[in-house]
Order: sequence, then structure tokens, then C-alpha cells
Amino acid sequence: MKTTLKHKLLLSLILACSYPAFADNHEHHHHPQQAAVAAPSTDSVFNITDNWTAANGSSFQLSALGGKPTVIAMVYTSCQYVCPLTVQNIKRIERSLSVAQAANTNFALFSLDPERAPPAKLAEFAKLHNITNPSWTLAQGNAGPIRKLAVTLGVKYKKVESGDYEHDATIFILDKDGVVKYQADAMSKNMNGASDALKALLK
Amino acid sequence: MSSNKLKLISLLALPAALIYGAAVSAEEMVMIPQGSVTPFFLKKDSVDSNAASKVKVDAFWIDAAPVTNREFQAFVSQHPDWHPTNIKKIFSDAHYLDHWKNTQGADGTASLDTPNPDAPVVNVSWFAAASYCEAQDKRLPSTDEWEYTLNDNERDKENLQKQIISWYSVPNRAPLAVKGQPANGFGVFDLAGLIWEWTADFNSYMAPPDSRNSGDKTQFCGSGSLSASNLDDYAAFMRYSYRESLKGSFTGKNLGFRCAKDAK
Repeated sequence: MKTTLKHKLLLSLILACSYPAFADNHEHHHHPQQAAVAAPSTDSVFNITDNWTAANGSSFQLSALGGKPTVIAMVYTSCQYVCPLTVQNIKRIERSLSVAQAANTNFALFSLDPERAPPAKLAEFAKLHNITNPSWTLAQGNAGPIRKLAVTLGVKYKKVESGDYEHDATIFILDKDGVVKYQADAMSKNMNGASDALKALLK
Repeated sequence: MSSNKLKLISLLALPAALIYGAAVSAEEMVMIPQGSVTPFFLKKDSVDSNAASKVKVDAFWIDAAPVTNREFQAFVSQHPDWHPTNIKKIFSDAHYLDHWKNTQGADGTASLDTPNPDAPVVNVSWFAAASYCEAQDKRLPSTDEWEYTLNDNERDKENLQKQIISWYSVPNRAPLAVKGQPANGFGVFDLAGLIWEWTADFNSYMAPPDSRNSGDKTQFCGSGSLSASNLDDYAAFMRYSYRESLKGSFTGKNLGFRCAKDAK
């Protein structure tokens, strides 16, 4: 009896998957509008106008990162493994640049944790990871802006019971207009692709 | 026997609906008392799997019904940035508010949808939904809050699941007006049957347990991996996987939203 119900449910599931009530507008792979490439100026993450707080306590908006390409990642400052690796990899990208190129690039880390990352904590994180270059920005924001930036970049995250975060570890490269041009797996040991993408933007 | 019992329980729950229904604010929000919910994907290695599988939800307000075309129209006229002609591409795909347009755009075919002002607004991106709620001094509900509201303290659970599954298995239709069906025990309408709804954290990390070893993706910062809590709950599986498939700029013909607010 139970099996029958299960089968019924499974059938409904299969039907639903192939014939879904939840179809979104992205099923239409052949839609002509999908082929259109958005103009860079309208694709910019700088369209987000939320305020962030930097490690020195100053307030800024994402557009403050404009004018130079930016290497950006969302991290969780209390985390033990993924985030230090992300920082190391961003530094690896930084080291691949000439002094002039590095000076012409922004490096930005945004905290995923609205509760545990006051500016002082960000400064501590910077010190721990030996981040002294003024090209680096460490930022903290409220829950809403954090979620909005994460949704924009496509970073999935979830706070778990311990207060830690499970999250995507991705390094993004934005052009000077705030358009995402490249994404790298922050756990990879090879940052050559990211480095090349950045250098192309610096030409 | 058990189905009779369920019927009896649902009859008994009706007065509760009236009581909860009393806690409705001027903007037609309903107060949801604090409780706990078992999310579909959960941490696997919890010490006490039973206690740990529940997530505590604080009391909160939630809109009694999804946001309607009428309400969203009022928002758009006050916030021209969210008009279909002005919306930034980063905030929505090309189908934003398609059902409000006379033609389907590029291919020139006429739209069959007549926007019913009392039907839930659909074809809205997460960004548009979140901005609407912000403009009302509200926010989108979290996935846990939304699921907790749907769960309705397990009132008439079996029927609810059947009803949801049968709705999921029918093709898209233009949604009908809100509040056409009875409210649930909390006094909340249309959580199932009309539209799918955005949640604030639809992009929460909800990976299957084996994702930790899947090639280039090592995305874990907190400890542990996630696994399904109730494999029998196909309806929940479908909601969580649907959310997982979304991006913030996506729109859907049956995808709308409602707002929530902290109880304070």
C-alpha cells in the first residue's frame, strides 16, 4: 500500500519534472532574447547601491571600486580553511602582476557574516593574513546587502548551527565598470586563468 | 481510520485558524508564533540527529497573501527604477513583468495572459521582490520561515502534501486571484496552489552530501555536509531543488513572492 503511494508520488514527480508547474522563463533555451549580450554598463554590480563598512571604519558603495579592475571574493572571517586559502590565492594573483599593475587593481574581500565581522575584526583578519597593501579593501555589511551581493555574484551560502557558514569559494574578476569578467575556483592551486584575465583587463 | 482522524484534526484546527487569523495587521500580515522546522537538506553529522535536524524559527509577521499585480503596480509607479523599461539587466532577465506587456516582445506574438489585478504578481526577479519588500519596510521571508508557515504545525500534513504534489504535476496556468482557497491554520493564504515564491535566502547552500568530493567544487567552510531529512517528502524536495535552480535575475510565469517582517 505504501509502495503504491510512493510510486504515485514518484510518478507525479517525474511528470512534474518534465511538465513542471514551476517552469521559469529559463526553460526557453531558444528564446531569441537570450542570445543578446547585455551592454556592460547595465550589467555592472555597481548598480547595487548598498553601503558597506571598510576595515578602517569608513563607509563606501561598490561603485567606489570603479575605475580599476577588481579581484573580489566573499569570505567568512572566522573560518579556518577555505577563506585563508581564498586569500592566499588572491595574493597569488597579486604576485603575478607587476608593481604598476598591482597598483592599478583593487582587491576586495566581503564578509558573509553580518554578526561576527565588525571593522575591528576585519582589521585583525587583515593583520593575520598580512594584508597591508592599500589596494585591498575588507568590507562588512548588513545581512540584506550581503545577501544581495551574494545573489548578484551567484555565491551560495548558508549559516549552520555552529554559527559557521557553508559557502561557495569563488574569486571573481570585475572590470573597471563592475562587470564580472572571470570566475575562478578559490580552492584551485592554479590561478593562471584568473591572472591572465586580470592582465587582459589591465592592458 | 487514520484518514478519519486527520479529518477530525483538521476540523479541530479550524478554530485555531480563526484565532491566528485575528492577529492580522493593517497591511494584512499574520503573526506566526515561534517554533521549529525541519529543513529538507540537513547536516548529516549532527550529534543528536533529531534535535539538531530542527531549526528554530523566531516569531515573525508574514503577508497573509502573495503580493498582487495591483500592489506591485503601485510600487512600480512609485519606484520607476523597477519599471520594465528601466530595470537594470543585472536585476532581471528579459521576461520581467512579461504578463503586463501587450506583446511578447521580439517574436511579436500577443500575450494570452490578462493581468488580473488581484492575482499574485509573477515574472518578478528576486531583486524586484526584495526591493518591493524593502519599500514596504519589510523583507522577504527566509526559506525556513516560509517552510515553517507552509508546514502549519503539521496540521493535515498528508492532505497538504497530496494537494501540493497534484498541483506540482499540472502545467503552468496564469494564476488566479489570491485568497480563493481557505487559509491555513496560521491564517495564511495561497502557500501552495497558485504560485511558487521567492525566499530571501533561496541561494542558501543546499548541496547533496557527495558534493564535497565532486571535482573542482570544494565549497565548505563550516563543518559537515548536507543530506535530505525526509526522502518521502517529494514536495519539499521539489521546492528545495527549484530554489536551488534559480538565480536572482530569473523570472517565472508562476514565480511570485510575499513579504515578511521581524516580530520584534
